[in-house]
Amino acid sequence: MSDLASLTNSVPKQQRIARPERPERRQARAGMVLFAPALVLLILILIVPVGVAALLSFTDYTLGRPSIDWVGLRNYIDIFTGSSYRKMIVATVLYVALVVPASVFLGLGAALLIRSLNVGQSFYKTVYFLPVMASLLAMAIVWEFALHPTLGIVNRTLAMGCGTPLELWSWFARSCIDGFPLWLGDRDYALYTLAFIGIWQSFGFNMVLYLAGLTSVPNDLYGAASMDGVKRGWERFRLITWPMLGPTTVFVVTITMIRSFQVFDTVEALTHGGPAKSTYVMIYAIYEKGIAQNLVGLGAAITILFLAFVMLISVAQRRFVERKVHYQ
Amino acid sequence: MTYRFSTRQTLAHGLLILGAIIVLLPFYVMISTSFKSPAEIATGTGGVFGSQALFPDPTCLALGGNETECLVRPVRDNYSQAFTAAPLWRYLLNGVIVTASIFVLQTLIAVPAAYALAKLKFWGRDAAFALVLFCLLIPVHAIALPLYLMLAKLGLTNSYAALILPWIVSAFGIFLMRQFFMTVPDDLIDAARMDGMGEFAIIWRVMLPTAIPALLAFAIFSVVAHWNDYFWPRIVITGDRSLFTPPLGLREFKGDLGGDVYGPMMASATIIAVPLVVAFLLAQRRFIDGITLSGMK
Repeated sequence: MSDLASLTNSVPKQQRIARPERPERRQARAGMVLFAPALVLLILILIVPVGVAALLSFTDYTLGRPSIDWVGLRNYIDIFTGSSYRKMIVATVLYVALVVPASVFLGLGAALLIRSLNVGQSFYKTVYFLPVMASLLAMAIVWEFALHPTLGIVNRTLAMGCGTPLELWSWFARSCIDGFPLWLGDRDYALYTLAFIGIWQSFGFNMVLYLAGLTSVPNDLYGAASMDGVKRGWERFRLITWPMLGPTTVFVVTITMIRSFQVFDTVEALTHGGPAKSTYVMIYAIYEKGIAQNLVGLGAAITILFLAFVMLISVAQRRFVERKVHYQ
Repeated sequence: MTYRFSTRQTLAHGLLILGAIIVLLPFYVMISTSFKSPAEIATGTGGVFGSQALFPDPTCLALGGNETECLVRPVRDNYSQAFTAAPLWRYLLNGVIVTASIFVLQTLIAVPAAYALAKLKFWGRDAAFALVLFCLLIPVHAIALPLYLMLAKLGLTNSYAALILPWIVSAFGIFLMRQFFMTVPDDLIDAARMDGMGEFAIIWRVMLPTAIPALLAFAIFSVVAHWNDYFWPRIVITGDRSLFTPPLGLREFKGDLGGDVYGPMMASATIIAVPLVVAFLLAQRRFIDGITLSGMK
């Protein structure tokens, strides 16, 4: 056996395909055996549940009841006609639409600023990455306290601005008289406040990805551009940096979207989807309907809708990457 | 020229410091509040670390202690309450058990599979890899409901198994290790085979040692995600406190004790956040590489 192996090893690469049959079959068997546990688990843990959710979304199943009835599309019709589900879609889409652009552009802006520094690069990098590391649930609870209407540092600090020129801003002047917002307790502010926490938590991650992307922009491009008369910072950014960061941007946008679609911790801990369902996002709805209220059929239908959203984003990303954004 | 240059630098620093203040604000609030007495929290006084003036502990007074016996330092009181009002040590231990088990099992399953995909020719290998790529698209949190139902049918909710099982196969881990193993030269494996090593021995004694950096990055990715995960434990652990992970414990702290115990609550939050933050500060490069691993997709 070992002689055979050394023989095949010494022949040039092209001829190596013609190996003796037996070791090849052994290899094939070993391959299947080694992949088998992963195969079984991938199917059981990831594929089967998707199928289960798809099936249950057409039923009125509840956990603990023996009977199960097909209800056709009723769960889906409920989702698209019920007003609380319309609020769910609105809250989810609005949350994603707020967090993604802000988090991506702050990440890019921080990366560009940090790259331009002579000293202190690693300090800012560390600081901005801290929220990515810290438990979001713990930090959500801290934010809730910081945003507390009377005890919180945010409103206390804002109140110190009363009587200063800040009052020229009409929102500020009004707040000085009527009190500053309740933030998480006010239906007009709650979703924006959660989005703010989401941005606070995620933009450091994007910054790191952009910093990595920036190091791969070849320096001679800038040299060539400056010979062509492109000297101003903005022009350099528009003509070189931004296009060269294309692949990074596609990736950053995708992952931020998928993550913000999955927002749960802050909603569950701080608002429970309220006030007035203004923060009733999809994952929270799945949790509340499917698990807390045991309306499994509805929860499953929302799950399928959610998966459709996420798959769509991922597939769009892969298409986009294949088609457009490679310059190298 | 040099003057203009430094103006720019100052401006950049100014903006970045402003950002840093906002980023660090909750960390400051958390640590500062965990040092203060209830009175200082209520009035917003006490500066950064509180005055640390002694104050009488209300539970001690209620138990009939006299005023001087019951005097406590705010910081000591907050942190000792964090451990006595809830079994915080137990929560931390659970966190360690769960994250460690998940990572070990993920490795045991992903590494052989990745080796098979990268280096062994077997029937259906391309389909197997396509399956892994497809599974990368499915976020486990999204299929929490059917997973929960399956575990409930098996009678496994409220157990360590429920906390660990759904995570033991990581499509991302398989993908990552496969990409890494692809770069290991075939000659190394052929040489090991010549020495009479079986495929299993090759994986653990030849392949894995070459993949330590990738595995370490994956370890950080996995541990950070599962130590901080709140959604999944929230779903499968209902009521049994002895199975709570740190985030669940903190959430219960907030739910049970209402609004007026910010000091101990912030002390708990600090204790839960500190292990990862300190580890991060000690090994920043590795952590940033690990957490942004998903950038490799």
